[in-house]
Amino acid sequence: MSYSWKPTRRDFLKGTAAVAGVGAVGLHPGAGIAAEKFPARNINVIIPTREGGGADRNFRAFSGTWKKYLNAKFEPGFFPGASGRVGYEVYMGKRKADCHNLIFGNMGPELLNWVVKAPENFAVSDYVYFGQVDTDPGCVFVGKKSKFMSIDDIVAEGKKRKLNVGTSRMAHPASVGILALGEKVGVEFNLIPLSGGKNTIAGAVTGEVDFSVLTSGSVAAKHKSVRTLLVFDDKNKLGDRLDNAPTMNDHFGMKTPPLLSARAFGIHKAAIDSYPDRFKILQDTFKQVFDDPEFITAYKKAKGEMAYLNPGGIEDCKKYTDAILEIGERYKPLLSGKA
Amino acid sequence: MEVDFAFFAELLVHTLSFWWVIIPTIFLGLLVGAIPGFSAANTIIILLPLTLAMEVEIGLVFMIALYCASRMGAGIPAILVNIPGTAGAAATPLDGYPMTKQGRGQQALAMSFVASTLGGLLTTLIALAAMPILAEVGYYMHSVEMIVVMLFGISLIATIAAKDTLKGLIAGFLGLMIGSIGSDVVYATPRGTMGFLELYDGVPLIPALVGLFAVSEAFIIIEKSSIVTDEGRANMQRPGWGATLEGTFFALSRWWHITWNSLIGLIIGVIPGAGASIASFVAYQQSRTFSKTPELYGTGHPEGLIAPEAANNGVTSGTLIPLLILGIPGGATAAIMLVVLQYHGVNFGPSLFFDQPELAYGVFMAMAVTYALMILTILPLSRYMSRVTLARTVYMAPIIIAFTLVGSFVPREYLFDLYLGLAFGVIGYIARKTGYHVAAILIGVILGPLLETYFLRALKKSDGDLMVLFSSDLGNTLWAFLAASIVFPIVLDRYRRRKSRSSAA
Repeated sequence: MSYSWKPTRRDFLKGTAAVAGVGAVGLHPGAGIAAEKFPARNINVIIPTREGGGADRNFRAFSGTWKKYLNAKFEPGFFPGASGRVGYEVYMGKRKADCHNLIFGNMGPELLNWVVKAPENFAVSDYVYFGQVDTDPGCVFVGKKSKFMSIDDIVAEGKKRKLNVGTSRMAHPASVGILALGEKVGVEFNLIPLSGGKNTIAGAVTGEVDFSVLTSGSVAAKHKSVRTLLVFDDKNKLGDRLDNAPTMNDHFGMKTPPLLSARAFGIHKAAIDSYPDRFKILQDTFKQVFDDPEFITAYKKAKGEMAYLNPGGIEDCKKYTDAILEIGERYKPLLSGKA
Repeated sequence: MEVDFAFFAELLVHTLSFWWVIIPTIFLGLLVGAIPGFSAANTIIILLPLTLAMEVEIGLVFMIALYCASRMGAGIPAILVNIPGTAGAAATPLDGYPMTKQGRGQQALAMSFVASTLGGLLTTLIALAAMPILAEVGYYMHSVEMIVVMLFGISLIATIAAKDTLKGLIAGFLGLMIGSIGSDVVYATPRGTMGFLELYDGVPLIPALVGLFAVSEAFIIIEKSSIVTDEGRANMQRPGWGATLEGTFFALSRWWHITWNSLIGLIIGVIPGAGASIASFVAYQQSRTFSKTPELYGTGHPEGLIAPEAANNGVTSGTLIPLLILGIPGGATAAIMLVVLQYHGVNFGPSLFFDQPELAYGVFMAMAVTYALMILTILPLSRYMSRVTLARTVYMAPIIIAFTLVGSFVPREYLFDLYLGLAFGVIGYIARKTGYHVAAILIGVILGPLLETYFLRALKKSDGDLMVLFSSDLGNTLWAFLAASIVFPIVLDRYRRRKSRSSAA
């Protein structure tokens, strides 16, 4: 049997409309795929610091449990460089906003980075932190051999000469902390960026700088080699592991907000807007992790400080980011060398 | 637990019982060290799930063996095909590769293995005996002193430039300029990145190393049928153990040279942030300065090979001292070890030697046993390894390019780095063809950013006062040594010329 079909102009238009319709449905960001199960594949996470560092350990501990609830594996990608800037640029510029791509960053230093030098290709509000894992307050410390026994010794010496202060990078909450103290007591501190926590501790221990400022979790881990003199928080939560050092607000009668580094998961704002259902799954499963003893064990094994474990959702992160952006603006000239 | 002779004897026997971990790890370490881009640090990271699951002692022995073997492995391709496996072996091909081209690759390998092993073993024993004293080095070596140490290495550019001053200096300054690309160390302001995000953190070392040495070498060797000269090829056609023994005995006869240069490595290794690349260049420069035959350096002079190899293995034990005593790792591999051992609940610091002496001293014992087993396993292989150089270049060149470009991709996993390796290959090829020394460019690329970091740090500390460079006694002593090491060869050269003229007359 033979069959021939000669399309008419009407048939052609009908066919074109049908194809266009199917195409339009298929191309719509949420359509078609929306029915798809989430997560449909592994969750890619950009970590803007080096492999093997604190963020890596923290991430491994958290994602090891989170994968159970999310029913998906996590694939970290490490993009250190330029104080975390590289990781953020890659995330915003090269990763699809579909909830399968997240970033696990350190909110404090990264946001201060944007205060000092705003990103060129996107706005800071184009990505949103939604899952805070822990918060680690900054502190002031010296090497065990240092002549400074208390923060008052430092202030007294600072009135005689300009003291060199080691910091992991200029745009860091702990740097802001020491600048705030300097402003309060009328002492000028000279920030010396020593590139990373390891070098910042080494700088204080070896006497390269007069003293250093850093997140206290890293300092407590080296408490046998260093002496902590001041904590930039409302309370010294680690007690004798931070040499029972006083808090800046208590000791100097200040009202500075806690100057913390906070590790948190972030996501494209566009992904939240396009896929609210997926984002809800991420948020819900994120919360479940903190109640799981498996995570607590992994967190302790990764040398996480239990006192600093501080679960937080999108609102907590927003509160933190607003505060850090505001305080960063205040000290921008000093942090960027334009004072 | 009492730390006496019986303790060390028992520890030695106990460490030897881990031979089944050490020997396979030595081969793994040699392999990862020999492939540019791979290193002990990233291998430990890749194997992190395995390392974390191991018992702490096994994990420790594994990491130490891998660390030592990869350091030695990096010298093998540097000697045989002019490709340093890591930046720490960048000074090795300066004399190692010319030896290979002369058909003395087997001797060169044997010398390198003996120098590495003896250097590593000796510094391990010194570290064991003098740990508290060595731990103090970091307290005195600050940014000002480190500037001078960097200048020791950078002054090698002047040495290279001695053969053709203008071209040598141009190559060195080109390297320094390339080294200055990236964010500045104080305010993280990007400079010369040409809009490439991948250059924000500076020019990555491995693509530069791979491109300048390996890729350009592949372009060069493809123009010939073999990398070995006809005469050298004739020598190598008679394989035997003689060349291995010759190299071994030559290296052993230079035991003082090995001792001295491995000590340079040990001291530089102890300083947090310094590393094998600095040590090997400084050792090479020092070796040449005090040599009776400095004019032979760069032409396949065995002492020019022994010096950097002894030094970069000396660094290995040095980097572990601040880790054990202060809990501050001296280098990248030591930092990863810290992560793994902390995961196992090991707390570093002086108390480690009282709380867990078998672990604290065990680190160095594992290192000593690794070096001892390494020489026994690798020395016989030098005879066979050197045969690689007899392969035809039509096969060798594409393999070199493929392997090394993969190596340039591995550390950061950026496709950009692969293209960067190729770009450096073209720069290296043009430089070689026009008589510019690629080693001078590489010295600038490696040491330039480090010099800038210490320089800016010193200036920031002094509020921009340049006199800070002469503000410390140790620094001033080092300045005097630096001046002497630059002036001394010139004076010596003039003296020798005058002497030879007068004896000729």
